[in-house]
Amino acid sequence: MADALAYLHFVVVPQVIDGLIIGVTLALVALGLTMIFGLLHVINLAHGELYMLGGYAALALIGWGSGYWGALVLVPLLVGLAGWGLEELGIRPLMPRPDRAIVTLLLTFGVSLMLRDAAQIVWGTQTYSIEAPLTGVVEFGGVFLPTYRLLVLGVGVGAIAVTWWLLYRTRLGAVLRATAADPAMVASLGIPVRWVYAFTFVFGCALAGLAGVLLSPIYAVFPTMGHDFLIMAFAVVIVGGMGSLFGAVLAALLLAQVHSIASLWIPPVWAQTLVFVVMLLVLIVRPAGLFARLGKA
Amino acid sequence: MSNSLKRKYFGTTAAFVGALLAATAAGAQEPIKIGVVTPLSGSYAPIGKQVRWGAELAVKEINAAGGVKGRKFELLFEDEEANPPVAVRRAEKLLQQDKVHLLTGTVNSGSTLAVGQVAQRNDRLLITTVSYSPAITGTQCNPNVFRVNANAFMQSNALVNWLVKNVSGKRYFFIGPDYEMGRSTIAAFRADVKRLGGNDVGAVFPPLGAKDFSPYFGQLRAARPDVIMTATAGNDTVRLITQMRDYGLLSDELTMAGASGAVTQENIGAMNGAADGFAAAAGYSVDLDTPANKKFVAAFRAAYHADPDLFAADTYGLFYLLKQAIEKAGGTETAKLREAMRGMKWETPQGTKQIRAGDHQAIMDMYIVRIDGDTFRTAGKVEGEIAIGPDKCEQF
Repeated sequence: MADALAYLHFVVVPQVIDGLIIGVTLALVALGLTMIFGLLHVINLAHGELYMLGGYAALALIGWGSGYWGALVLVPLLVGLAGWGLEELGIRPLMPRPDRAIVTLLLTFGVSLMLRDAAQIVWGTQTYSIEAPLTGVVEFGGVFLPTYRLLVLGVGVGAIAVTWWLLYRTRLGAVLRATAADPAMVASLGIPVRWVYAFTFVFGCALAGLAGVLLSPIYAVFPTMGHDFLIMAFAVVIVGGMGSLFGAVLAALLLAQVHSIASLWIPPVWAQTLVFVVMLLVLIVRPAGLFARLGKA
Repeated sequence: MSNSLKRKYFGTTAAFVGALLAATAAGAQEPIKIGVVTPLSGSYAPIGKQVRWGAELAVKEINAAGGVKGRKFELLFEDEEANPPVAVRRAEKLLQQDKVHLLTGTVNSGSTLAVGQVAQRNDRLLITTVSYSPAITGTQCNPNVFRVNANAFMQSNALVNWLVKNVSGKRYFFIGPDYEMGRSTIAAFRADVKRLGGNDVGAVFPPLGAKDFSPYFGQLRAARPDVIMTATAGNDTVRLITQMRDYGLLSDELTMAGASGAVTQENIGAMNGAADGFAAAAGYSVDLDTPANKKFVAAFRAAYHADPDLFAADTYGLFYLLKQAIEKAGGTETAKLREAMRGMKWETPQGTKQIRAGDHQAIMDMYIVRIDGDTFRTAGKVEGEIAIGPDKCEQF
């Protein structure tokens, strides 16, 4: 019995906390992805590269002397700006087309390849590491955690809370949800739907950028970093229900735990495969995902 | 290309001029030509540099003291680029054009195996001072190939021997990068731990270059190890050990140990003391407290303004073996030289070494080095007879 408790305390608990932290950052990326889909019906395949841009932007800003904290504030703005450029020049002209789901998919796929190659041309293929701003260790009840991972958890939870507040407690959020439900009606009430779309896209991209800065001290910065992360984020969005915010957060936490707990017994590389098995099961049982789309609930 | 060519021609010319001068000085005595096929360019160039320095220092000393019965050593360098096909071409050139008496210097184990066959066809000997692969003096042994450095089996065997005697806990856990080298190193560690009475409590194989080791810590915590043996190298070791520290996994009850390349002069600084106490086995440590080593280190530092590493020490020692063997054989004829070297004992900065007749592997004491802050300190010694293990050579 004491052995089982010790196992729970010193083996399972640290693994669950580690999974929680990864889950929260995964939720940040998945939130942006699912918001953009829920509102614009655009599957943004360049989302992973915006996450990557977040990492490189942090690298450049810190190199120019902004410090980590400066980068944490500035990078989401810069990546949001890049997202705005993509929306303005690429997505918006395609929005009136009836086949916009497929043409924007192709567009964002092309953009993702261009961004990845651009990063390779500018920064090369090597991996850069970013120094974590906090190096200490926090201990509670015999469980040790690097202080920086707690910061990641705190900022991630904060960003999710702000997103929730914005969507469900502000007038802007009401407009966003209304647009998701019936854009024609919202437009007829005199609200510039175009700007609602642009805001949503920029906000989603900024979240990806934020995840990029937060995770770069842990995973390092390299050209294909976004690609690897996006696959997980898509699994999250599919399990949570395309377009569901609540679903994305819950699915991110759930899948990260599946990965983390399974890693106790099987190699973590295989545990990643298990995540996709869960995704397949959800698709078989509930093809629409666990939760309903934004604006439909 | 042009750089390595220039260096090569310069080296050859310099050696040629040197040979002319030596020939005039020593009268009509024919020099003993040693072909050194070693990486002079590319990522293994630092190893080749140590090989070259070790060889040049020994040759300078021996020639200054009158050479081998009046004959002087002459070194001819070729760049093997740590690439077996290139090594073969350069070795052929040394043997057929330059008519060298003997070859040494190969670093890459594949180069050593391939050049060994070239040497055999040309009725010459190859003596490696660097290659680790146990196959060279084991399953793929060759009557014309000798090795005077410690092979991978000896490193692992010596380390595990020392660990089971000096660490009270018996639970061993293993971490290796997921590719051939990592897997084979860990397989060797596990076999030695099992044979010597340790308890294997599990292993994980993160991908080479893994950024985040924390998902692997669950299995590590569950195994409750007393000793962790790792086959990671370079920045992988830095990330592994600093992340272990950040997750509170390092403690006085846990001994960290690993392959000799896990913690090196290059990555030790990046760990900020987290690698304190890390143990590895090597055939040489610069701080060995013997008169022979102190003399060697002082001469090496004076000549090259750098510390010798194991590659320089093993190469330096080789020339004293050659001197003794050529004197005993009465010349450089291959068959006689081979017979003379079999079973021969000789003195090196690392202590007495002896060539085992059965597989041509040098029997040598292994040193356990532990990290103390930012420096390596010799913490123990495992006798050569214990470290060397069984003779697995069946070809001769």
